[in-house]
Amino acid sequence: MSALIQILVLGLALGGVYALMGSGLSLIFGVMRIVNLAHPSLIMGGAYVAYWAFRLGGADPLLMLPIAMVILAATGGLLYRLVFEREARSAKYSEMTVLLTFALAMVVEGLLGAAFTNTQRITSPEYATDAFFIGDVFIPKGQLYAGIVSLLIISALALFLKHSRFGNAIRATTQNREAAELLGVNVNLVGLVSFAIGVGLAGAAGALVSFVFSFFPSKHWEWIVILMSLVVLGGMGSVLGTVLAAFILSTVAAFVGFYFGATWSTLTFFVALFVVLLVRPQGLFGERPELA
Amino acid sequence: MNGLLEVRGVVAGYGDGPAILNGVDLTVEPGRVHCIIGPNGAGKSTLLKAIVGMLKVREGEVRFRGESLLGQRPDQVLRRGICFVPQERALFPKMTVRENLRMGGYSLSDKSDLERRMDEVEDRFPILKERRDQIAGTLSGGQQQTLSMARTMILKPEIVMLDEPSLGLAPKIVLEVFEIMKVMADEGITILLVEQNAHLGLKHADRGVVLDLGRTLFEKPADEVLNDPRIQELYLGGRKAA
Repeated sequence: MSALIQILVLGLALGGVYALMGSGLSLIFGVMRIVNLAHPSLIMGGAYVAYWAFRLGGADPLLMLPIAMVILAATGGLLYRLVFEREARSAKYSEMTVLLTFALAMVVEGLLGAAFTNTQRITSPEYATDAFFIGDVFIPKGQLYAGIVSLLIISALALFLKHSRFGNAIRATTQNREAAELLGVNVNLVGLVSFAIGVGLAGAAGALVSFVFSFFPSKHWEWIVILMSLVVLGGMGSVLGTVLAAFILSTVAAFVGFYFGATWSTLTFFVALFVVLLVRPQGLFGERPELA
Repeated sequence: MNGLLEVRGVVAGYGDGPAILNGVDLTVEPGRVHCIIGPNGAGKSTLLKAIVGMLKVREGEVRFRGESLLGQRPDQVLRRGICFVPQERALFPKMTVRENLRMGGYSLSDKSDLERRMDEVEDRFPILKERRDQIAGTLSGGQQQTLSMARTMILKPEIVMLDEPSLGLAPKIVLEVFEIMKVMADEGITILLVEQNAHLGLKHADRGVVLDLGRTLFEKPADEVLNDPRIQELYLGGRKAA
């Protein structure tokens, strides 16, 4: 029994981190209809910000989180201005953005590799190797803190989207871009801000990931499949769906890992991606695709 | 020839595609209901989109209160007092009725003013008050149309442009939609209506505008258009109903 609780606890704690990793991807897809394949490489960028601040100054990754977030948000804003804003006027928008974000992922990976080499890294603040014990169940402090901070950030995002004027404009643009524009929403500004927030969330996730997983520049290819499975199961563009999917799949992966070995754990996400696309392509909260 | 809104010789189309409008003229008189009719592909919806800045006007002039609207974005045109309710999907389907109303007043800066105006609209259309926390996408077709039309009144606009508000609605509900339009007109709002059902549209209008192949054939009082034999033949399907 305590083994089951143990697995559940580990699955849920990681689920929070996955949720944060996927929420920015989902937000950007919802507003811009861009499948940002570069999202995990930008998470990697946030992880390196935290890593080098830790290596050079001993900075706590949790304290570096807001800084990683701001740096990445600025990067996101710049990318939007230089690349995606222009592309939005193209008739081949969706094909172009898939190729563009793919290329962007390669560029980010290359830059990170050149700057930081392909060595495996991990930040190791004290709590990352410590744990709480409740009876027989142990809870790694690093994963617990990362999970809690992730949920706090996601809650802040949800409150912003639900209750602020600009947050409502973002949701409105996601649901009906044309109508939003006709009601006075500057949809281009919404695109810019959403892109910056989305990439900023990648930066925040990166700071947390830096002490939860070991990482190296090309590891983002593994993350993209994991994040895609979350976004697809949650329903493309639904941030709430992505969060829910993260908890479900992360928990399932934890159980799979326990019973069949760690190698199979990651496979859970890949299998889920295929199964969801076959059985319920709209995911949990997405719109049913139009049958043309 | 001094209308509230004047369209002169407008040429416009989608992207780099061929022109859909080939020299449209239109004079919108304050406080009146104008109904634009014409066969499919005549450019009725395109004209509304060109006025509101969703399409680039390639030639010609659009003036509101004597000032040009050319080159203005939709949100800028809205702030001057022209609301456009597009065909069918004008709502935010996953937001509540109240949130949809609030988005209607997005361009207002005064928040307490916005809340007061939302309450006023709810008082006038009690169904919206009753359903205020319901998700808009789950409303019936008629209720959705009520919401998208009523939502414009939050801004107290000068002109409301309606693109086929009756589309896909049952005949009884269509009459309700025209009732709402009448409420708006009684408030002094100038209406520009595009309607596929020419007979019904003209019956509820003061002025009739006939478009064909991207040009204005003529504009005159709605009852004259209704009784014009050419129009009866072309667009009204023969004899007029009693």
